[in-house]
Amino acid sequence: MTLASRGRAVTVVALLLLVGVYIRALAFTPLERFQGAAQKIFYLHVPAAWSAMLAMGLVGLASVLYLLLKDPRFDRFAAASAEVGTAFCVVMLTTGPLWARPVWGTWWTWDARLTLTLFLFFLYIGYLLLRQAVADPGMRGRYSAVLGICGTVLLPFIHLSVYLFRTLHPQPIVLKPSAPSLPGVMLVTLLYSFGVFTLLYIGFVMQRYAVGEGDAHA
Amino acid sequence: MSDLLRHAWNIARKDLVIELRSRTAFVSTLVFTVLVLIVFNFGRDPTATAVLDLAPGILCVTFTFAAMLALNRAFQLELENQALEGLLLTPISRRSIYLGKLFANLAFVGLVEAVGLPLFVVFFNVPVGHVLPALAGLIALSTIGFVAVGTLFSAMVIRTRFAELMLPVLQLPFSIPPLVLAVLATAKLFTGRPLDESLGYLKLLAAYDIVFIGLSTLLFPATVEE
Amino acid sequence: MPENIPQNAGYMVAAYIVTAIIVLAYAASLYRRTRGR
Repeated sequence: MTLASRGRAVTVVALLLLVGVYIRALAFTPLERFQGAAQKIFYLHVPAAWSAMLAMGLVGLASVLYLLLKDPRFDRFAAASAEVGTAFCVVMLTTGPLWARPVWGTWWTWDARLTLTLFLFFLYIGYLLLRQAVADPGMRGRYSAVLGICGTVLLPFIHLSVYLFRTLHPQPIVLKPSAPSLPGVMLVTLLYSFGVFTLLYIGFVMQRYAVGEGDAHA
Repeated sequence: MSDLLRHAWNIARKDLVIELRSRTAFVSTLVFTVLVLIVFNFGRDPTATAVLDLAPGILCVTFTFAAMLALNRAFQLELENQALEGLLLTPISRRSIYLGKLFANLAFVGLVEAVGLPLFVVFFNVPVGHVLPALAGLIALSTIGFVAVGTLFSAMVIRTRFAELMLPVLQLPFSIPPLVLAVLATAKLFTGRPLDESLGYLKLLAAYDIVFIGLSTLLFPATVEE
Repeated sequence: MPENIPQNAGYMVAAYIVTAIIVLAYAASLYRRTRGR
């Protein structure tokens, strides 16, 4: 089996399991009493965020390896992870405000989490645009790697800054989206969703990598 | 190490001498800065909004625009004369080239800011005398962070399609920390808050500068190798 | 404990639908691009 067909298989399995997540979250997981039904967005939003962050971290890692070892496969992987990460990032950015609005009363706030997600999105878009704008594969690989590394360094910096900013300015305690300790049923749903989103990431990246391979040999 | 700095200084000096001779970039950037300040002035209703509410934002945004212009010009100039290729043929270390460009860009933007700040004070009647050293330091730190990343990225985008568009797009996430931290600290300074309230922001800015100058110096060679 | 659990299922439905659309659209895009490999 080729990489592409294996990737497709993994993706199909992940999608079917995703249906399972939907059913379990919507029908078999209890309502959260303070946030209501909207809290269930949590089961999609958080795993999507995890995948988006994971994807960017791997872009950074692949970028470093590419610059050090010059192996085009790392660049190909970085490109794949970036595109897949962007998709998850869009899920995160759309489900986030949809969850925030009913629970916090506002579509957006500049707290640590949301600020970081926005930055992540800008980085992804910039990365994809840069790749589009460079024709020569060697140059494209190097430039993307530089951007990827800078971006991966920026993210923890932003996180730290916002965290420090918040300790400088104590903020009123807002309803926390994730309860300090999740009841067992909810935790299981969340973990299940994490697993499915990770599998989805893998399947997507396999396919996207295969696309990159194909482009290279075209 | 001293070679690194010596070469960097030579490169910076070359760029600045070129600029000094023609002065077009400096004048056009300065004119743009004045224009932005004027627009902001007419853009607000003085009876509705206190100057101090908007002043930090106006100052920082104006300087950001100016810095972007400067960055674009700097590498355009290089590309036009293919001077970059010439530089790359010399045995000078790539890192020196980056640092040299950084110094030159900083000197350029710094000069624009040095003229722009008094204009800002005059146009908006914002008293800054008592906080001038802190304000100057703050502007310097923020500009350094912005220009450090900008110098690295402009080296990349010059050789891409849609170069003028790519630079601000790529730089956006990286400009926000220096910009936001500067605005927050400037607001504190303008409203007469004690200095230690801005200290946190200044430390973060300094940390950002150190991290990204280091990173950019490390990565610059990858943007110019063949 | 609040007497009434907030009625905001609309947001939940919207989020679940949007997520499904994005995921399926991307999966379809990849499927098209890898056809024949």
